Amino acid sequence: MASDRTVRILVGTRKGTYIVTGDTARRKWKVGPVAHEGYEIYHVVADPRHPGDLYAAVNSAFWGPQVQRSQNWGKSWKEMMTPLTPPRKDREGMFNDADPTTAVPRPLNNLWHIEPGRASEPETVYLGADPHLLFRSPDRGASWEAIDWVNQNPARKEWGPGAGGACLHTILLDPRDPRRLYIGMSAVGTFRSDDGGRSWKPTNKGVLAPFLPNKHPETGQCVHHVAADGADPDTFYRQDHGGMYVSHDRMEKWTRIGKPLGDDFGFCVASPPSAPGRAYFVRLDGMARVTGEGHFQVHEWNDRTKRWRTLVSPTAFPGHFGVQREGIATDRLDPAGIYVGTTTGQLFVSPDAGKRWQLVPFQFPGIHSVSAAGPAAE
Amino acid sequence: MLKVHLDSWLREFGPRGNEEIEAASVALLLDELERRYPRLRFKIRDERGELRRYVRVFVDGVDVSASTGVATPLTGAQNIDILHSIAGG
Repeated sequence: MASDRTVRILVGTRKGTYIVTGDTARRKWKVGPVAHEGYEIYHVVADPRHPGDLYAAVNSAFWGPQVQRSQNWGKSWKEMMTPLTPPRKDREGMFNDADPTTAVPRPLNNLWHIEPGRASEPETVYLGADPHLLFRSPDRGASWEAIDWVNQNPARKEWGPGAGGACLHTILLDPRDPRRLYIGMSAVGTFRSDDGGRSWKPTNKGVLAPFLPNKHPETGQCVHHVAADGADPDTFYRQDHGGMYVSHDRMEKWTRIGKPLGDDFGFCVASPPSAPGRAYFVRLDGMARVTGEGHFQVHEWNDRTKRWRTLVSPTAFPGHFGVQREGIATDRLDPAGIYVGTTTGQLFVSPDAGKRWQLVPFQFPGIHSVSAAGPAAE
Repeated sequence: MLKVHLDSWLREFGPRGNEEIEAASVALLLDELERRYPRLRFKIRDERGELRRYVRVFVDGVDVSASTGVATPLTGAQNIDILHSIAGG
């Protein structure tokens, strides 16, 4: 609704889903409703085509994964159809977590990312899962079709997992062209399809794979996350195991931008629509996987000036914070809100594109994912 | 007739109390349980038909999860407990 000025932060944690509600000032927040207590929520996202609709990637070491949908901003949830892996005869070559060198059939593991489709396809939803699986629902999660090029690819036996698993964690849709979409998988890299998912092309040129003998292979990079520029659908920002990158040509080639920061390791990146050419990264120590300087920090890349800016005062939030691949989000307001959730349960908010920062006064369980839902800039 | 008792957490998807089922094996028992309570499908077993890693099935008090698993015959058995194992943090 155009009159709804509510801003919601959707927080997926190690122990459930938390909906955090405020208004466009983004200074006061109320925590709740809470759902999926005891489940690992890898991603919660709003469907902007259907106000009130949320999707959650609900995982459980006990009972397996579930796709769930709410149609009332998280007050109640319903288990939807959860897609499965292909039949046994087609599953040779999938990785076994316990012994990655042994190719054995594997069931559907954790769900990682849910991407509502374009405005032009209001019923379509995409889902990325472990082990390296991509699905598309034509009916908002009531049924799923497998994207066979990914799910049945003979090269799968060469596709290795990252530390988080064989996760397909990034799905990006070109808003102008219903045939073009992008995916990112650990530790396989990024791919682009120009024909609606029937065929894909590796798009990792220029991205370093420091953990392989060949440092610049066609695939095998451990992409951590990719964000499309808030305004230019041909430009992407990439946080990879091998550094921070930008591409201006639909991922045809990547240019490393993170070197001025020293260690440019991290997991997450976001770019808001109100600030074209700006991308926000949380740089982590490559070994410890926490903010290395001893305090919370976010770095802003300005793609026009080709310069970095550090956003948070070094004295504001001392400590070592981990942030996962879905751990940063921006909203659609101007100035953009920036939201960062940590593995130790802090939720940081900036209401003004990084000038000021506050902590939401609530101790969450460890945070896997943060996304924002709310009005666009007027 | 077998008396089947489910973990309280599993009751979110299945029966709230004990269930009585006639079945010759754990696999057939789970087939019938899932027919009665479709939300239990893929919660106890994955799509390969194997018990999930942190699910334990006890036949008359004996844990068969890691031994004969879903192939365990139930001839002469009386009580089945389906529980989640102690895990997590």
